[in-house]
Amino acid sequence: MELLTPSVKERRASRVLSTTGYYAGVILICIPFVFVFLWMALGALKTQVQNTASPPVWIFAPTFENFRKVFLANQFLKYIENSLIVSGGATLLALTLGLPAAHVIARYRQRGLALGILVARMAPHLSYVVPFFILFQKLGWIDTYASMILSHLVITLPMVVWIMIGAFEDVPRELEEAARIDGCSRWQVLTRISLPVCRAALATATILSFIFSWNNFIFALILTGPERRTLPVAVFNFISGDEIDWGGLSAAATLITLPILLLILFVQRYIVKGMTAGGLKG
Amino acid sequence: MAIRAEAQSKSSLPVQTPRATGPGGFFERHFSRLLPLPAALIMALLIVVPLAFNVYMSLHSWFVSSTTPPQFVGIKNFVEIFGKDVRFWNAVWITVKFTAIGVFLQLGLGLVIALYLHRDFHGRGIVRTVMLLPMVSTPVAVALIWVVMFNPSLGVLNYFLSLLGFKPLVWLGHPRTVLPSLILMDIWKWTPFMVLIIHAGLQSLPFTPFEAARIDGASRLQLFRFITLPLLRPTIAVALIFRTMDSLKTFDTIYVMTEGGPNNASEILNIYVFQTGFKYFHMGYASALAVILVVFVFAVNLFLIRLRERSWSY
Amino acid sequence: MKQCTVRLGKVVTLGLIVFVVAPGITWAQKFDWQMHKGTSIRVMANKNASGEAIQALVPDFEKLTGIKVQYETFTEDQYRQKVLLELAAGTGGVDAIQTATAQEGLKFWRSGWYEPLDEYLKNPRLTDPNYDLADISKPALAGNTYDGKLVALPTTQQTTMLYYRKDLFDKYKIKVPQTMAELEEAAKKLHNMDEGGQKIVGIVLRGKKAAATSQWAPYLLSMGGSWLTKDGKPAMNSPEAIQAFDFYGRLLRNYGPPGAVNYHWYECVSLFVQGKAAMYTDVSNRIFYFEDPAKSQVVGKVGYALFPAGSTGRKPTMEVWSMAIASKSKKKEAAYLFVQWAASKENILKMHLKGAPSVRAFAWKDPKFLAEQKHKDWIEASVKSLDIASTEWNPPVVAVSEVRDAVGAVIVSSILGENVKAEADKANAEIAKIMEKTEGK
Repeated sequence: MELLTPSVKERRASRVLSTTGYYAGVILICIPFVFVFLWMALGALKTQVQNTASPPVWIFAPTFENFRKVFLANQFLKYIENSLIVSGGATLLALTLGLPAAHVIARYRQRGLALGILVARMAPHLSYVVPFFILFQKLGWIDTYASMILSHLVITLPMVVWIMIGAFEDVPRELEEAARIDGCSRWQVLTRISLPVCRAALATATILSFIFSWNNFIFALILTGPERRTLPVAVFNFISGDEIDWGGLSAAATLITLPILLLILFVQRYIVKGMTAGGLKG
Repeated sequence: MAIRAEAQSKSSLPVQTPRATGPGGFFERHFSRLLPLPAALIMALLIVVPLAFNVYMSLHSWFVSSTTPPQFVGIKNFVEIFGKDVRFWNAVWITVKFTAIGVFLQLGLGLVIALYLHRDFHGRGIVRTVMLLPMVSTPVAVALIWVVMFNPSLGVLNYFLSLLGFKPLVWLGHPRTVLPSLILMDIWKWTPFMVLIIHAGLQSLPFTPFEAARIDGASRLQLFRFITLPLLRPTIAVALIFRTMDSLKTFDTIYVMTEGGPNNASEILNIYVFQTGFKYFHMGYASALAVILVVFVFAVNLFLIRLRERSWSY
Repeated sequence: MKQCTVRLGKVVTLGLIVFVVAPGITWAQKFDWQMHKGTSIRVMANKNASGEAIQALVPDFEKLTGIKVQYETFTEDQYRQKVLLELAAGTGGVDAIQTATAQEGLKFWRSGWYEPLDEYLKNPRLTDPNYDLADISKPALAGNTYDGKLVALPTTQQTTMLYYRKDLFDKYKIKVPQTMAELEEAAKKLHNMDEGGQKIVGIVLRGKKAAATSQWAPYLLSMGGSWLTKDGKPAMNSPEAIQAFDFYGRLLRNYGPPGAVNYHWYECVSLFVQGKAAMYTDVSNRIFYFEDPAKSQVVGKVGYALFPAGSTGRKPTMEVWSMAIASKSKKKEAAYLFVQWAASKENILKMHLKGAPSVRAFAWKDPKFLAEQKHKDWIEASVKSLDIASTEWNPPVVAVSEVRDAVGAVIVSSILGENVKAEADKANAEIAKIMEKTEGK
């Protein structure tokens, strides 16, 4: 009882207040970042009239008509399939090519290759589009999976190599040396020792490559037609011919963002680590 | 005999395992050269060749729509770009403004938020997830939602402004407000990136300097100025490099929101190259612009990396 | 000997049959829609009323001919870019395209991308006898002819029109503007009036740079201006042009919606169907958005009038959309079947009823149409307008896109209230430079 002097009570109260104040601050910070997505989802559930009302409508009866329209009238399933195949393919290919390369760069200091990867990360995608267009048009590969996956390699390969170089560098040399002494070939060292140790980074590299490939707009804009179009271009085409279909636009935008959002809910740990670790290592 | 051989082989590192000799050991011996070969090949094909092609095309004049083939004009394109192309210099200036102001504000805001969140509180994971949303969301999709929000008559942003008693803004509808609006959107999208990187940096700071300073009676502000900030310098440098590199590559959001308008007020160099190449189809001229853009990006990054190397050694 | 004669006789008869009669048979071969049954073609079109109207009817074509059609539409800016890219690629991947010759015709023709149609039209084997070239609007055909060759068959034509809210005009006792001055007066009176709890704008017009130029053109022409001088030099800083820039910009600046510089026709239509604008000038097919109860809140409240007269009279423009064959196509005859089907009498009538105004005279007089189309003022305005319209809704140059951008910049400056004369001079110099680089290429 002695302990609950006014000053202690005061301090406890002020602590509660400051804690609540702190949490209020946290929420305040989070609001702008979440709001846009909320607005996107709300817009997708409103009718055209509700969407164009001013002042904006906050409470309303939701409708799924926009989603239905987007799927049925606009072949969104096809575009989802295209995005999955292109991003999945580009990521897989990047892993196949990039893991060995990253391992070698990390262990054997291949400065030339590392520099090349850096250049690839820096160059704006636009500078690839013209040559790619001319090349793929000559090969007749416009509007095919081949041209899309190959061009997306420009995004995924540097990402994989970048992240994995840092990861492989972190693998203790002693581990690898010990394996070599035990008679492992260099390839086995890579696959049986280094790679499992870098599991987390591998996950990060895969996830980030997939996400950035999924989000890419410019390659699909120039290199695809209606058959192999991916989601970002499909959403852009939604500024449709008669009037701006606000609800349809919001629904399409929601559909594109949703898979990524769901993905990061499960793997946010990896992404955060990947973006920051890769960053800290530079 | 065998035992001694084994002992010998164990004591000397690195070890040439038996498999390294003979024909089957080709792969072993040339491991470091063979392994990156496929990647290097693809890189050469997909990256080096296109960039070289750009340089080649930049020396020609070619209208894709015409029946005349590309004509060699030497450095004429470059002379025209640097000497007579007002729109080019406008694009450079807009790019510099957009990147510099945007990245700077993102850094400042990111620093403040990271410091604020640098505490053990419940729901840290949720906040981290929230922070990730803007960064990983598809740029085109969120850009279009921002267009909806920016709408001067029906958008929700003007509604909020009116609630706070301000006059509605034209946002994307005027050359003077379009760039600030785009920067606002960029800040929304990428500040979380800064927050996460700085947060990671803060986590990895050593404890002792802080403890020592606190024992010496340093105030919060002094702690920040003389300990936190200098120790964070490398992290901040890396964040700056990354964000600048990416910001210079921006295309999707601006193209979808304003297409470089109104009247080229938001036309970053990237978009100018696109319009020249894919709207007017002056491929030669566009290639020259692309070459300049790549060199420009490269130079900026090199400069920042040099800066960082200097700050790293202290 | 006798056997030889008999044999000779047989050979001669056979020869006669093979060389004289047979060709006569093929020449007399009738036109058959099914003659390319089983092939497939690819068509690219714009996502506007015209392109979408044809799209809806494609299943009919497939049934009629047995040809499978891959019909793709893109939004306007995308469509222009995609078609250009495909044709430039020259791989023969596209067979027929919807084309607005006033926009890209000259460039496409000079690049050799159109397949001239005169030979096809003359060949009775390839052309449906019911096609009836004579019924098609002469200016439209003229607009599609380069160096004496017809390159595309017109399907729809739209003309500039003034849309106004007749309910508001009645309420405020305003008469329908016949001149530019009256237009400005009406916009001023109606601007910021309270309607149903919100403020309306006096007038909405396209303001988005290049998109605005086509709708600014009638203002230019009606004030006596022109795109080029008589010797083919740009005339964007002539006193008439500056007057037109000034007027257009002033209208939007003072009596238009905020952020008008970002308004393409999608935004204009959107605003109008929500009832937030009192007037709007644009092409004539907007009626079908205005009178669609599913999307429009102003059904039945819209009046349709002729484009007002400028200082030199009325000069609305006419926008023709046509179908053409890609010269590198590998299936030209099948593509030709599609092209002429799209431009056929039945089809054009069907599209006319739906909202893509017909380029054929008969459709306007068709009894079914007259019965169904309740808006007699629209019919009257359209017909009268088509009679006097000019096809020059775009500058008659090769690098249309670039020149439109340059002109559009002046329009935007005018809307923003900047120095129009200075901007016009700048644009004129730039256009001269562009033309120097691109004309004759």
